[in-house]
Amino acid sequence: MSAGSYEIAVSFTDVSKKLSGRQILDHLNFEVCKGETFVIIGYSGTGKSVTLRHMVGLMRPDEGSIRIEGDEITTMSRHELEIMRRRFGVLFQSGALIAWLTLFENVELPLLEHTKMSKKKRAEIVQQKLEIVNLWQDRDKYPAEISGGMKKRAGLARAIALDPDLVLYDEPSSGLDPVIANEIDKLINRLRDEHGMTQIVVTHDMDSAYTIANRIAMFHKGSMLQIGTPDEIQTSSIPEVQHFITGGKEGQVSRRSNTAIIRGMAPGMLSQRSAEAMDAKEAEEAEAAVATEEPQEGYVLLSEEEAAKSESPEPEPRSLEPEESHENP
Amino acid sequence: MNWKDNAVINAVKGAGYTLVLLLEALGHVTQFWRRRRAIFTQMHVIGTQSLPITCFFMLLIGMVFALQTGIEFARFGQTNLVGLVIVSAMVRELGPWMTAFVLIARVGSSMAAEIGSMKVAEEIDALEVMSINPSSFVVMPRVVGYALMGPALTVVGTLVGIAGGGIVANLQLGVAWADYLRFAERGAEPLDIYWGLLKSLVFSVSAAAVACSNGMRTSGGAVGVGRASRNTVVIALTLVVFFNYLLTSFYRMVKLFVAGVL
Ligand SMILES: Nc1ncnc2c1ncn2[C@@H]1O[C@H](COP(=O)(O)OP(=O)(O)O)[C@@H](O)[C@H]1O
Ligand SMILES: [Mg+2]
Repeated sequence: MSAGSYEIAVSFTDVSKKLSGRQILDHLNFEVCKGETFVIIGYSGTGKSVTLRHMVGLMRPDEGSIRIEGDEITTMSRHELEIMRRRFGVLFQSGALIAWLTLFENVELPLLEHTKMSKKKRAEIVQQKLEIVNLWQDRDKYPAEISGGMKKRAGLARAIALDPDLVLYDEPSSGLDPVIANEIDKLINRLRDEHGMTQIVVTHDMDSAYTIANRIAMFHKGSMLQIGTPDEIQTSSIPEVQHFITGGKEGQVSRRSNTAIIRGMAPGMLSQRSAEAMDAKEAEEAEAAVATEEPQEGYVLLSEEEAAKSESPEPEPRSLEPEESHENP
Repeated sequence: MNWKDNAVINAVKGAGYTLVLLLEALGHVTQFWRRRRAIFTQMHVIGTQSLPITCFFMLLIGMVFALQTGIEFARFGQTNLVGLVIVSAMVRELGPWMTAFVLIARVGSSMAAEIGSMKVAEEIDALEVMSINPSSFVVMPRVVGYALMGPALTVVGTLVGIAGGGIVANLQLGVAWADYLRFAERGAEPLDIYWGLLKSLVFSVSAAAVACSNGMRTSGGAVGVGRASRNTVVIALTLVVFFNYLLTSFYRMVKLFVAGVL
């Protein structure tokens, strides 16, 4: 077992994996440092969840090496994997709570299975974790009785029940309203700042990515296209990265009205926008466009036709896998 | 590769997976005390909740069987013998497999769907990453619950079936209760009763294993859950009639052996 003195928490070296004849991971390389929040972005159905599954040994690569705090996990036996996994907390896309247990029992489950704590001690910890995610008052409810956002928060409470060193999140904010998504972001930052946890977050939500990430990695075609700080990603010169982080909306309709749609603001308000959400150059351009062009009628309240035009077409073929429907039908 | 290869290979793989899963689950039976709550829940769902429908089925089957044999025996003036035929058929054949059918329809299909939903919702994966073995947490309580309640229901169902036969024999065929019981007693000896229980145990364990295995192998969302449930019913029913034939043949050999013929 590792001495725990490694600076690198997770490292993938030339990891490749084929699934049903398709190369999902193709010489994937990246490292996650201890204590950082590492955000993975990328198009749907390309293999981000598969990457996470490799990290906890739910899938084994065809080739390559995966090390968790220095320990090679690709060759571990089932028993060794079970021990290794205790360093992890994983928040699955839908929370993955056990349906026949209450929220309290769900969070208690890892403690019950892996520790010899007294009932009182367990209850204390469960209370503490459920209070972190603001669900203590709902402790006696069953997963079927609560909303998707609550399930995710309960899943997070369960993931951190054993105070893991590493927490993985698969799309923590998908399907949540912005307020709760924001709360989860705050929670992720708290876990890093107060508990020093290493966190790996797969997300589509760029606002959230900028809020939580120490580094962002763009996953594309089986490997990391770019890894960098939020600033570096925002100013990336790689077209695919720009395309993804702007939601593919660049250069499709007139830049000015498009900007207004993305930001949900009238063109005149653009200059008030916070600098971090969009680079200054882009704002200037947009402002200039406003100044030179004659405002048209129905400018802010777009006609349906125009709105439809400004919707970007899907950038990549979406997989039809059912796991893509994250929320309850 | 053509589809035929795939179908055969998949069937063999599925059977292998089912067997391994069953053995793993049986290996976790040592944890029954820790999992007692889950086992009791399963016993309730599989046993108590299936009791009314099982009794209703067996009652009517006993009644129809009495009528049918009564019609034939009347031709030879042997109507008194219906008790004997009903009991021997109920204890060794109808009781075990009709109960198994009812349980597969009522419990097996939903067990597969439940586990299939867990699989699709990543709950099974979540258990794995929490280092909680699903064979112990999910499969074992179900197999144990099924293995205990299947035979128990068979006993009750068989008794109800024999009672149903008696009611028809008495009210419709005019057989005196005393005669019915006198011949009924001769219908089964202890070996028959054990044999019926053995059959029921085999049916229950295989149905539970098939249900859990199909559930655990579910992929492809709601459609996959439906498929798991359907496959469970088809495969489990097939196994029941197949094992039943084997066990009945074996029973005959045992009988011959006991009689000193073999
Ligand atoms: N167990 C599996 N068997 C076969 N294909 C899979 C499996 N898991 C995922 N895939 C495929 O791998 C691709 C990547 O999936 P995933 O990692 O879930 O995408 P995402 O990046 O949206 O998380 C998808 O096309 C999916 O169909
Ligand atoms: Mg995913």
